[in-house]
Amino acid sequence: MSKKNKEKKVRAVPIGLGILIFVLAFGAGVVSKFAIKPSWSQKYAVTWSDEIGTLKSDLPYGEGEANKFDLYLPKDSTKEAYGLVIYLHAGGFTSGDKTDDKDTLAWLCSKGYVAAGINYTLRTDTNEASVLSQSNEIKAAVPKVIEAAETAGYHIDKMAMAGGSAGHALAMIYAYRDGKDAPVPVVFTYGAVGPSSFVAEDWGIFGIGLDTDESRQAGAGLFSVMSGKEIAPEEMKDSSYREKVHEIAAAEWVENNPIPTVVAYGACDKVQPFLASKRLEAALRESGVDYRYFVLEHSGHGLQNDSNISKLWMEAIDEYLAKYMPVK
Amino acid sequence: MSITVKRIIIIAVIVVVAFVLGRLAVRAGMNLLLGGTLFGGDFL
Repeated sequence: MSKKNKEKKVRAVPIGLGILIFVLAFGAGVVSKFAIKPSWSQKYAVTWSDEIGTLKSDLPYGEGEANKFDLYLPKDSTKEAYGLVIYLHAGGFTSGDKTDDKDTLAWLCSKGYVAAGINYTLRTDTNEASVLSQSNEIKAAVPKVIEAAETAGYHIDKMAMAGGSAGHALAMIYAYRDGKDAPVPVVFTYGAVGPSSFVAEDWGIFGIGLDTDESRQAGAGLFSVMSGKEIAPEEMKDSSYREKVHEIAAAEWVENNPIPTVVAYGACDKVQPFLASKRLEAALRESGVDYRYFVLEHSGHGLQNDSNISKLWMEAIDEYLAKYMPVK
Repeated sequence: MSITVKRIIIIAVIVVVAFVLGRLAVRAGMNLLLGGTLFGGDFL
């Protein structure tokens, strides 16, 4: 037997076995990151069942193919009045579906609220959908949602608007811009990572806001798509674009309907500008709103690295729901 | 130290290191897409 073979024999863990164990444990680490959720988060997501209530799916609110909503009605239908919580789905204004938030809507329904998820026409390469048109669809949908709840025997006396990311932006636009025209008082809004203002210098993560033609071109392109209005690069230079994005800039409407607000933003967000949320916070503060503004310093758009702050954010939502929309 | 004890210690170290790296790899990937820091906030 050679000297080399003798060395192999005394190895505590053969290299092949070591590599295999490493690969398996690495895979387990990857899977665990997706599979293991913080224990506190389970409180805010409920699997839907008939024990919770009745689910009415795909109720129409307009002519568009996407103009549909799901209505979650609590089991107990004997109350005099109910609070309505509308939760709008995420997806960058281009994707997503109301069923993505089924567990959240089920949680709200299990608390005794009438809950609704609304679809809106998503932006594609072949349509002209914009944040503005989507916000107007939501505005058209709300009375229909309330009407459907009333028809089912659930009298709605107040409501809250909520959502995630793009849905959060739309929820805020409705709450602050359109809330005063709502069929019932909008008393609370909450959500996370929704773009709330469109000031070019805040949008540096997309190369917008620089003093170059290229940057102004990029800004005009993006803001045109979002606002649904043609914005020229020159308008980016003289700031006249601000008028055209005003209708979709929720932060600029806070004083119009300064209702209680709970929001969370990731300081490292690459998908929507964190800086824009600072303007929202300033507007909330200046309008004397009862608000909570959570910053997740190590997280991006998914609020994925600061579970302890996410927990506080959800607790604040629960607290504000109980305070401003108590289940009687 | 017997060969068995040595073997268990080495395997345990490999498992822990690989598990942590697996979780860090996901965090790094998510950060690349969504933004975020590799360390800080949640442990792992």
